[in-house]
Amino acid sequence: MKKYLIFLVSVTLLGIALNFFFNSYIQAVFISFLINSILALSLNFITGLADQFSLGHAGLMAVGAYTSAVLNKEFFGDSWMMIPVGVLAGAFVAAFAGYLVSLPSFKLKGDYLAIVTFGMAEIVRVVLLNWNHVGGPRGYNGIVKFPDFLQSYGFAIILLTFTFLTMYRLKFSWFGRNLWAVNEDDIAAEVMGLEIAKTKRRAFVISSFFAGLGGGFYSHHLGYISPGSFAFIISVQILITAVLGGLGSLSGSILAAFILTFLPEALRSLRTSTIDVRMIVFPIILILMMILRPQGLMGRKEFSEIWAEFKSKSSLRKKQKAAL
Amino acid sequence: MQEFLQHTLNGLSFGSIYALVALGYTMVYGILGMINFAHSEIYMMGAFSCYYIARFLKIDTPDPLHFSIGVLAAALCAGAIGFLVEKFAYKPLRNSPKMNILITAIGVSILFQFGGQIIFGADPKSFPSLIEDKNLFDIFESPFHLTDLLIYLVSFISLAGLSFIIYKTQTGRAMRAVSTRPDMTPLMGINNNKIISATFMIGSALAGIAAVLVSIKYPKIDPMMGVKIGTSSFVAAVFGGIGSLHGAVLGGFLLGLGEYYLVGYGASTYKDALSFIILILILLYKPTGLFGSTRKEKI
Repeated sequence: MKKYLIFLVSVTLLGIALNFFFNSYIQAVFISFLINSILALSLNFITGLADQFSLGHAGLMAVGAYTSAVLNKEFFGDSWMMIPVGVLAGAFVAAFAGYLVSLPSFKLKGDYLAIVTFGMAEIVRVVLLNWNHVGGPRGYNGIVKFPDFLQSYGFAIILLTFTFLTMYRLKFSWFGRNLWAVNEDDIAAEVMGLEIAKTKRRAFVISSFFAGLGGGFYSHHLGYISPGSFAFIISVQILITAVLGGLGSLSGSILAAFILTFLPEALRSLRTSTIDVRMIVFPIILILMMILRPQGLMGRKEFSEIWAEFKSKSSLRKKQKAAL
Repeated sequence: MQEFLQHTLNGLSFGSIYALVALGYTMVYGILGMINFAHSEIYMMGAFSCYYIARFLKIDTPDPLHFSIGVLAAALCAGAIGFLVEKFAYKPLRNSPKMNILITAIGVSILFQFGGQIIFGADPKSFPSLIEDKNLFDIFESPFHLTDLLIYLVSFISLAGLSFIIYKTQTGRAMRAVSTRPDMTPLMGINNNKIISATFMIGSALAGIAAVLVSIKYPKIDPMMGVKIGTSSFVAAVFGGIGSLHGAVLGGFLLGLGEYYLVGYGASTYKDALSFIILILILLYKPTGLFGSTRKEKI
């Protein structure tokens, strides 16, 4: 209980500090850090825990974002009170889309999920481009936003906490252990009586739900979405975040999202005329990391586990010193 | 009838391009079990190397000799790039989990796309006309172009060359051996690394040839040109059964025809989504593809 209280107080203090002492640019970047964390967590659940490669999280994001935006604009009459309902609806629609995607993906072993999700994102993009009611290639404009920073911040923190706690609890539950079993050796898992395809399918539906959640909030954060906001490169950015943090480490994803959201903003001066240097730096980071440190920053461990290890080591050292 | 024949001719010529590129995917998958996402960028690099070599050697005027030099140069350069990519990005990861290799492949692909935009510029360049296009003859009033004939001819020669290498030479036999039992081949005196490099080079050279053929028909090249053709060819490879050479060729032709009929009879804006819809249908109803076979896993 004490832990949660500390968390609540520090988050509130951080929000107030951001609201009064920083300009709106930093505030917006901070909110996009929270959104990126949700998306990275969502990808980490399927790619890190279940070892299934998804290349279409931008497509799931788009489903959530457009659902939430259209619902709020057409049915809820642009009131910011209804944003949470729209975002939640977007998440459920994305979860359904994820279920549909998972049907053909797990019929064979191998990397078929990567291909099917890639194709799904492309189909979603093409459909959105051809759908004139939501603006087609021009994008969907004038989506309702939260009136000020604190509300937006509060809602984003609630979403992130919800995402993190759900995944954390799932990771250390029987379901998380099933996923580990599939990850480590699917033949052995099957012999132990685990239905592999079903387990993977469930994991992917959960992952899609949170991708939709992140996407839905994204549309209300920016107030404008277009099919171009959900291109393939966005899926790759989510993937880079999850890999940098460490596949399988949930707190690592949040750490990596922090680094990868604020670092590019600091490097903004490197931008050349047409494209930014980030798109060169990111893939180089990705390749070098796969060769030099494939487990990412945190490996599979959570922050609390590393902290506990550190503590026990230092107490051991103290005991050794005392013995000497 | 005339319209139908026109679509068929276009579809077949694009289908042979898909077949050439799909072979690269399917060969690498067969031997390493990985999807080489960077293959579409090797295709793009083939077109650009031909462009720069043609400008450098001042052979950008229509001439059959210039055309053949261009095709050979693109094949060599693409082969070299494929070799380097394998050497520096994939080889250090030979024994690590498959996921890491896939992530690296995506990294390489993005690096080439955006590196290409910085080095070559993001705007499309007009490819030199290495051969003069003319109308050879009419079949049922639909024109038959020289470029189409060249596309058929060059792809047929490349496919014949490939099947000669795979089925008649020692290297080809070694390739087939490595793709079935990579753990046994070193005992037979085969150097797996060399064979894998050779596979990458051959696949990449085919992609380079395909790039020049496409660029002669549609003379606009830009650093993102590989994405569309790469994904379609990959679908063609899955359609035919990934890992199977005959499957890749047949899948390429079928997909090319399908896309052109779709464009010809309405629904042209959905052309880009067609290949993925086909892909999902295949995975639902015949996940091994036309010629693929499921290998029994032994523990």
